[in-house]
Amino acid sequence: MLGLAKGLSYTLKNLTRKKVTYDYPNEPLPLPDRFRGIQKFYPEKCIVCNQCANICPTDCIQLTGKKHPDPAKKGKIIDTYDINFEICILCDLCTEVCPTEAIIMTNNFELAEYSRDNLFKNLEWLDENDENIRKVNKA
Amino acid sequence: MIRTEEMLLNVGPQHPSTHGVFRIVLKIDGEIIKEATPVIGYLHRGTEKIAEDLQYTQIIPYTDRMDYISAMTNNYVICHAVETMMGLEVPERAEYLRVMAMELNRVASHLVWWGTYLLDIGAVSPFLYAFREREMIVNMLNELSGARLTFNYMRVGGVKWDAPEGWIEKVAEFIPYMREQLKGYHQLVTGNEIFMNRVKGVGRYTKAEAINYSLSGPNLRCTGVKWDLRKNEPYSIYDRFDFDVPVSDGGDAWARYQVRMAEIEESLKILEQAVEQFPKEGAILAKVPKIIKAPKGEAFVRIESPRGEIGCYIASDGKKEPYRLKFRRPSFYNLQILPKLLKGENIANLIAILGAIDIVLGEVDG
Repeated sequence: MLGLAKGLSYTLKNLTRKKVTYDYPNEPLPLPDRFRGIQKFYPEKCIVCNQCANICPTDCIQLTGKKHPDPAKKGKIIDTYDINFEICILCDLCTEVCPTEAIIMTNNFELAEYSRDNLFKNLEWLDENDENIRKVNKA
Repeated sequence: MIRTEEMLLNVGPQHPSTHGVFRIVLKIDGEIIKEATPVIGYLHRGTEKIAEDLQYTQIIPYTDRMDYISAMTNNYVICHAVETMMGLEVPERAEYLRVMAMELNRVASHLVWWGTYLLDIGAVSPFLYAFREREMIVNMLNELSGARLTFNYMRVGGVKWDAPEGWIEKVAEFIPYMREQLKGYHQLVTGNEIFMNRVKGVGRYTKAEAINYSLSGPNLRCTGVKWDLRKNEPYSIYDRFDFDVPVSDGGDAWARYQVRMAEIEESLKILEQAVEQFPKEGAILAKVPKIIKAPKGEAFVRIESPRGEIGCYIASDGKKEPYRLKFRRPSFYNLQILPKLLKGENIANLIAILGAIDIVLGEVDG
């Protein structure tokens, strides 16, 4: 019986402790800067090097480029950029290899949708996703 | 005259105490188990086969999803295997960050086990206490790596991120706090008569059986075998730390409980020394080529995960993808003894025995 009583005294001691739970979703959840949520994409920074699409372990990034409209300038600019968010595992490798930091992570994690089609994120969506962007992108 | 007959009872695959999708088909005679047949594979994703088409860096996020309770050790084993093949020297600061991350993860993993095991055998409140402390560890690892469970933190040749400002201090503060809480855990559970009756002498096996079934980790050490790869075959920088390998000789669920609780304390000891010795400056990533190619040949490495010995075998033909990758997943091996332990046991002990083995289904199924 002694063990039971000792255990109960621990429970009673904890009654007066400070609350440890968060009032989510009524209060926003604080997340560290490095937290990996859905990506933000800067079309003007992208040089269409395809490294993000190549490193993606699940092959969820698809992109196409087109010739630079200004004939004096070399290189390509981005035409379409799609992330299939049904299979993205938020591993952060795309942002790690990007040489111009055109794609970076945000802290947005509330990504539930009513339809699977809505999980298909295109260039416009990723461009407009500009809240809670990660401040320091490289170690 | 009472007519009795054998009955087939299906447990799982979605049973709260299997902690995943594990199924056992039991042949029972009244309350006594005559035969138990585990059915696994509900979470099989073919990680090893998928890895044959992936570059080494790309395999790391897949290893997160095997033993998802302690993803850091899985991250480490694949990086360690590739580094061994390439003969890479990992910078000191990276090694310390790795060890700290792994030991924090080991504490978190044992806390999950402690909480859920007691939940399985009928005590609800320890789970809440365990997760309160685990939440602190998870938050620290989140600050470090950017994820709470699937860290993807380690890279071939080092780690992805340096410690953020004030992180080391947070770890240092956490150690005495956790020690204090552990005392509370013992007060709450360890002396409890109901708990003792529930675990003492349950699921007992001998030293010889444990070795013959190639059990590892706390499942082996609970029979008195002092075997811990961190001590016996030191990898990383574990030879620099002073810690004990807790053993117990009961071989039952109670012994496994004692070993795991003592391991938390040993992990805290390692953490304390790592914080003290942590180099102030230094690189966190060795000089590695952009596309990592392991030289032709093969390598096998093994390390101590919270569940036992996790091994990684790579056969490479010199390309950027492995030719063959094989993980020795400790949960899978430890589970093999289950049918033997269940035979002749009371059905009420089924969960107490299964829980004490501490399996993670993502790892069992691979």
